[in-house]
Amino acid sequence: MTTLLVLFGGALVGAGLTSLRPLDGATSTAAWRQLLSDPAFHDTIAFTFRITLATTGISALAAVALSLLLRNSGAVPRALVSLPVPVPHLLVATVAVLWLGPGGLADRILGGLPVDLVRDEAGIGIVAVYVYKEAPFLLLLLLAAMGDDLHKREAAAAVLGASPLQSLRWVTWPAVRGPLIVGSIIVAAYVLGSFEVPLTVGPNYPTTLSEYAFEAVQGDLITGESRAAAALLLAAAAAVALAITAVHFARDVEGG
Amino acid sequence: MIGALFALPFVALVVQAFADIWRAPALLPQEFGLRAWDAVVRSSGAIEALINSVVVAVVVTGMALALAWPAARVLGERRLRHPGPVFVLLAMPILVPPFAIGTGLTQWFIRLGLTDTLIGLVLAHLTVVLPYAVLVLLSGFGPAVRELEDMARASGLSPRQRLMWVTLPGLRPALAVSAFLCFLVSWSQYGLSLAVGAGRATLPIVLLPFVRSDPQIAALLSLLFIAPALAALFVTVRVGRSPL
Repeated sequence: MTTLLVLFGGALVGAGLTSLRPLDGATSTAAWRQLLSDPAFHDTIAFTFRITLATTGISALAAVALSLLLRNSGAVPRALVSLPVPVPHLLVATVAVLWLGPGGLADRILGGLPVDLVRDEAGIGIVAVYVYKEAPFLLLLLLAAMGDDLHKREAAAAVLGASPLQSLRWVTWPAVRGPLIVGSIIVAAYVLGSFEVPLTVGPNYPTTLSEYAFEAVQGDLITGESRAAAALLLAAAAAVALAITAVHFARDVEGG
Repeated sequence: MIGALFALPFVALVVQAFADIWRAPALLPQEFGLRAWDAVVRSSGAIEALINSVVVAVVVTGMALALAWPAARVLGERRLRHPGPVFVLLAMPILVPPFAIGTGLTQWFIRLGLTDTLIGLVLAHLTVVLPYAVLVLLSGFGPAVRELEDMARASGLSPRQRLMWVTLPGLRPALAVSAFLCFLVSWSQYGLSLAVGAGRATLPIVLLPFVRSDPQIAALLSLLFIAPALAALFVTVRVGRSPL
């Protein structure tokens, strides 16, 4: 744990120092002021949160629906649906460009796609890639929670006269709520901070937070690093705040 | 049907990797060949990046398991009275963007001469991999393994014999999954590697620009990128079966 404390603590302190001390040496809050007054950064925040919420919401809904569909199925359908889980995000994005890009395979098969999915300004392509990757991850967590024990409790509820809807509300949902919330926090935090997917299938503008940070470093060698560190620290704070809110929300729902 | 929907897109990757000419609107390539393969083999950058990725992922996995072991044991056997802060520390590197961690570490790595080195990459990857190692490994420790170890001790087995014959076999499923996850998290790192070691490129960093510039080379590099991940998954399933 000491190793982790040193490395992670060092990283946070290092990011803080970088945000306050550009390469020209003088300590100042200029990078933070520049960042917060930059209209492009405001667009970045709105875009990043839209992508994060859409991805997390759609992935969670898809995982719940698929888990109800697959909970009694055999090992082969489960294994096939789980296939995207060990596949790196960058690889899924590469496959998405191959299928969904202009002149891609979907375009050729269907004779034209109704909407642009790669490098579209709304970020639909980014959300599609993330959902393809994250829904199976959440599905695995849900299926793990839907084991024999849950089957027995649902059978007991049925014997006691509970309708399927009542059983879903009072037996199934409490069993899967925990894994779903923890999984959704991990998904949201990942989407908030990762940038290989937006870099591959996302638009040039607006950008996500990490892309903004990357472009800041590329665009301005003197102060760019500080602005990037400030933006990334805000992304980190947002991810942690999101996790705390979700955990509190879950406790409230449980009545704790 | 649903399963096929998830598996099918990857088949196209194999076709694309060996499609020397594949112009729209044709559904199948006009000409198959090894253009991408030749380009990748001739380019020292791609092969070096592949080797860097393998070395970093393997070393990080080994180090993460060794460093995670004591923490996982204490947490798994519920020996801490207040484990909350430890779990918060474990959750943080998972929640904080890897590029943020990399940017922060770069500040120190520049002073220590570790930027663009394999040691720098290993240390940076360890920051995000360690929590996964601890969280998965702790599920293996518990009363069952503890009781077996106590029986082995009562039977007169030395500490080394207990480790080899009781603890390691008992932990095999958790160890296998933990190792797989560590390998995968390190293998897929993009932002972190870019921040601390862009000069010592790993495979994802070499792959990404080709997605826009040359889809055939991108597809071939993608196959090289996915092969070790699938091999690791296969090994995990084989090795991870519980002997107890």
